[in-house]
Amino acid sequence: MKTIRLLIVFGLLSVAAWIVGCDRRPAVQPSGRSVKIGVIAPFSGADSTKGREGLRGIRAAQRLTPYLRNGDAVRLVTEDDGNRAVRSLQALKKLVCRDRVSAVMTFSSSDPVLEMAGVADEYRTPILALVATHPDVTRRSRFVSQLPFDDDFQGAVAALYVRDELLIDRAAVFVDPDSAYSTNLGRTFAGKFESIGGVITATTPLAHDRQDFERLLRDVHAGGPELLYLPVHAVEVIRIIRTAHRVGWRPRMMGSDGLLSTVLTQHRKDVYLLDGLLATDLYSSGDPLTAYGKKVQSLYRGEPTSYAVLGVEGYALLVDAMNRCGGRPGRLCINRALRSTHDFTGVLGKIAIGPDGKAGRPLYINAIHNGHMRYVVKVY
Amino acid sequence: MDAGVDKAETESTVQYVSSALFVYTPETEALVRPLLENSYHVVVRPVAIAELLENPRRRLKDMSHVVVAGGLDVVKEVLQLAMHYGFSVGIIPTENQRDLVRSFDLPENLEAAVAQALRRDAKPVDLILCNEKILLFRAVIGRVPLMDEPSRVSRLSLLTSAFRKFHGLKLLGFDFTTAGDRKVKTAACGCMVLQPRVGTLASRLMARKNSFSDGMVSLAIAAPLSVVGYLKFLGRVFFSSAGRSQRLPDTIGYIRSPQVEIKTEKPLDVVIDGSRATRTPVTCRALPGAVRINMGADAVEGDKNAQATAEKVDVNNLPRDKELDRARRKSAVPFFSYASEERFRDLFTALREDARFDQTYLVLMLLSTLLATVGLYLNSASVVIGAMLLAPLMAPILSLSMGLLRSDLDLARHSIIKIVGGVGIALGAASLVALVFPYNSITPEMQARLNPSLLDLAVAICAGIAGAYTKSFKEILQSLAGVAIAVALVPPLAVAGIGIGRGDLAFFFQAFLLFSTNLVGIVLASALTFRMLGYSAVVRGKMGIGVVAAFMVLISIPLYFSFQRIVENNAIEGRWQKERFLVNGKYLIIQGVQLNRSSDREILVMDILARDMLTRADLTAFKEKVQSNFNRKVVIRARIVYIP
Repeated sequence: MKTIRLLIVFGLLSVAAWIVGCDRRPAVQPSGRSVKIGVIAPFSGADSTKGREGLRGIRAAQRLTPYLRNGDAVRLVTEDDGNRAVRSLQALKKLVCRDRVSAVMTFSSSDPVLEMAGVADEYRTPILALVATHPDVTRRSRFVSQLPFDDDFQGAVAALYVRDELLIDRAAVFVDPDSAYSTNLGRTFAGKFESIGGVITATTPLAHDRQDFERLLRDVHAGGPELLYLPVHAVEVIRIIRTAHRVGWRPRMMGSDGLLSTVLTQHRKDVYLLDGLLATDLYSSGDPLTAYGKKVQSLYRGEPTSYAVLGVEGYALLVDAMNRCGGRPGRLCINRALRSTHDFTGVLGKIAIGPDGKAGRPLYINAIHNGHMRYVVKVY
Repeated sequence: MDAGVDKAETESTVQYVSSALFVYTPETEALVRPLLENSYHVVVRPVAIAELLENPRRRLKDMSHVVVAGGLDVVKEVLQLAMHYGFSVGIIPTENQRDLVRSFDLPENLEAAVAQALRRDAKPVDLILCNEKILLFRAVIGRVPLMDEPSRVSRLSLLTSAFRKFHGLKLLGFDFTTAGDRKVKTAACGCMVLQPRVGTLASRLMARKNSFSDGMVSLAIAAPLSVVGYLKFLGRVFFSSAGRSQRLPDTIGYIRSPQVEIKTEKPLDVVIDGSRATRTPVTCRALPGAVRINMGADAVEGDKNAQATAEKVDVNNLPRDKELDRARRKSAVPFFSYASEERFRDLFTALREDARFDQTYLVLMLLSTLLATVGLYLNSASVVIGAMLLAPLMAPILSLSMGLLRSDLDLARHSIIKIVGGVGIALGAASLVALVFPYNSITPEMQARLNPSLLDLAVAICAGIAGAYTKSFKEILQSLAGVAIAVALVPPLAVAGIGIGRGDLAFFFQAFLLFSTNLVGIVLASALTFRMLGYSAVVRGKMGIGVVAAFMVLISIPLYFSFQRIVENNAIEGRWQKERFLVNGKYLIIQGVQLNRSSDREILVMDILARDMLTRADLTAFKEKVQSNFNRKVVIRARIVYIP
C-alpha cells in the first residue's frame, strides 16, 4: 500500500514538473556583444510626460527581453528633443552617426517626426514612430514606420462613431493651426463627417495669443453643434471646457489619441471637469491584456498609460524584427523586417506593419467616467 | 398567628409585625441599629446566628417573625428552623445576593428591604429539598451547557461559553423516577432542578412556568445527541428573544413532579445553589407551603397566576431504548444525530417500496419518456416539464443512495435493477420515436441538454440534498415534484434516446453525460444528506459510496471543460459587443455575437448594424479582419441590419 502511495505521489510530481517545464524556453546565452537602439523623446518641456512614461514602458519591456535571440544585449541610447523639430534632427544625426545605433524609436509628435522623415532616407536607419500619427510620416520616407494607426484612420473612425453610434448630425471642430497633426486630423474628421451626411458648423483655429475665448465659444455655440471635435493639446481642451461651462454650455466633446493619458497624468485636478469626454486612443485600461501584456504589467508599477504601452510594444516589435533578421542584424534588414510584421502580439492584441510602414491595429474609444478612463468601444 | 404579639399597626394599607427577631452574622451586625430604630414601631430583638443555633427553642419562644441578614447558608439555617417552629421570615439581602433579590423580589435599598422584611404579609412558599438539603435557586447534576448561563448575557460571551462547555461533553445514563412512579431511563450530560424566577437561559427557553406554591419540582434534562443538535440549540439560544419560548428545545427534556428521584450511571456531584452539597443518587422533593416568606410585589403577583398542575413528563427529545445504548456507547457526543425510530421505520418502508420494480413504474416511465420526446420535438417547455413531473426515476435513485450508505445490498440491488430498467425503457422508447418521426430537426429544447457543465452537477447535488430531505419528512413530501422538475431526469434520457435513433453517437453521449451527472450527483448528495439526518451512524457502504464519488470525479472532468467553454463563450460574446469594424470605409457595429460549437467546427454568428450597403468584397474583408483577431479558426456568419 505504501509503495502504491509513493508511486502515485511520484507520478503526480512528475506530471507537475512536466507541465511546469513545458512553459520554460531555453534561456538565451549572452554573447558578450550588444546592439544599440536609440530613443528620441521629449524628456523636458511641456510634452515631457510622453518621454518619461514612454521610457518607463520601454524599460519594462527591456527587463523582460534584455537580449536578442543571438545573445546580443540590447542597449538603449536616449536623446531629449523637447518635442522640437530642430533638436529632433540633431538627436537623430548624433544617434546614427556617432552612436551608430541599429534603429531609432521616437516619442516625438508628428511635426518633429515629419522633419526626421525628410532626412531618414539619407541615414538609411529604421525609425519607429511611436506616437506620431500623421499619415505623411510614412509617406515621406521608406525608413520610417508607425506603431500607432494613422490619422486617416483615426479621423474617419471618430467621424463614423459620432455619426453612426452617437447619431449626431452637427459638429464643430477646433484645430491648432501651428500643428500639422491637429490641422490634418481636424480636416480628416470634418471631411468624413460631411461625406456621411453630417454638418460641420464651424472649424475654428485656436490662436496662441490672448483670444476672447468666451466670444469664440458663443460664436461656435450659435451654430448649434451637438459635439465639439478637439484634436488639440490637453491644455486647450481644458480651456475650452472651462469656458463652455462658463457660458452655460455643456456640449459633448471628443478628443484624439494621447489626450486622456495626458489628462490623467498631468491634469488630474481637472479630471472631474472632463467627465464624459470621449477620445480616440491606442490603448484602453478596460480591455483585457494579452499574456504578453500581463507579463509586462507585472513588471510595471501602477496603471500604464498609452505612452507606456506604446513604449513596451515599440521595443518588443523592434526586438522581434531584429530577431527575425537573425545573426547580427543590419539596419536595412531591420527596416525590411519591421515593415513585414504580421501577427505580432502586443499588450492588448495583434499588430501588423505593412510594407508602407503603416500599422494595422485597433483603435479604442475611451471616455472619462468618474475620474477614470472607461473603455467604450474598440474599432478594427 | 398569635394575636397578642401581632399588634397590627396600620400605615395606609401596609401592616407590620409588632415584634421580630433579627438574626445577624458578624458581617451583617451593622444592620442591628437600623432595625432597632425602625420607624414602623416594630420591636426588634437582635440575636447572632451562633447564639440562635445554640438554643433555638429559647431564642424563638413567642416569636412569630424572624428577619435574617447573612450568607445563603445562614438564610437556609433560618428557613430550616422556620419549617420546624412555624415563624414567618423576612430577608434583608446583602451585597452580591442577586439570586436572592431576583427570586423573592427583595429591594436592594436598605430602608426598603427593612420595611419589606418587617411587613406582616408573608406568603407560604414551597421548599425543595434535595437529599434533605434546601434548594433555593437551582441544583445542577453533571454538565448542563448553556442552560445554567445567566439569561441576560452578551452573545459573544454566550458563544465562547458554548464552545468551552461543549468540549469533552459525554452522555451518561440517567434514571428518573417521579412521585407518580413514572420511570424515565435516558442518556443525558446533566440535569438541573429549577426554582421559579431564577434568571437562567433554561428558564428563558422553557415556557413551563413553575411557582413557589405549586408543590412541584421542575427538572430540565440536557441531552445534546450530536454536535449538530447542540449547534441548533445554540442557534435557538442565540436568536431567541427575551420572551419565553413556547416549544421545548430539541436537546432538552422536562419533568415536573412533587418528587423526582435521580440516579446516574456513576455517582455525580449535586451542586445546590453554587455549592457542592451532595452526590447522586439524589431525591428532590417539594414541601408545599413549608415556610412563609416576605416577598416583593412581583414575586407575589407571579405566584398568584400559578395554578396547581399535574405531574408532567416531556422527554420525547431524549434518547430511549436502542438510541440510549448507542448514545451511551460513544466516548463523546457524535457530530451527527440519529433519526428517531419512527422516522427511520417510515423512511425505510417507503424506500423499499420505491425500489420495487412494478407495472406502474414501467407504465409511468414509458409515458413520461414519450411525453418528453414529443415535447422535445415540439420544442415545448411545458410538455417537457409535464414529463418531468410524471417521471418516477427520482424514487429508486434515493433508494439506491440509502442502500449504498447503509450497505444494504438488497435495497441497492433492487434500486439498480429499477433504475437500469427505467433507463432502458426511456432510451428504447425515445429512439423508436426518433426512428418513426418524419423530421430530424434539433430543437433548442434538445440543444439545451447537449452541453452539460459543472453547473448541472451543482443542480444535481442540490436536488439530491432536497430529495433526501423531502423524502425524510412525510410532511413535506409534496415538494419532491419540485425537485424532480429541477433536476429533470427523463428529458436528457429522451434526448440520448433520440441520439440513438438518429445514429448520432456524439448526440447520445452528450445527453447521457447529463443524465449520468444527475444520477451520480443525486446519489452522492442524497446519501450524505441521509447520513446528516441521522439515518446511518456511519457510512457503512464505503465501497459503494467511494465508487459513486469516483464516478463523480470522472464525470467532473468533461463537465469542467464544458463549464470553461461556457465561461469562455460568455466572455467572447460580452467582449465582442464592444467591437467595431472599419471595412473599406464602412463602419460596422457589432450588436451581438454567439459562438456555437459543433463536433467539427466553431461558428461565430454576428449581428451587425451598418449604414452603408455591404458588398461581397466588404464582407470578405470583414471576415479576414475578424479571423485575424480571433485566436482560432472559426466559421463566420453575419446577420446584417441596415440602419437609416
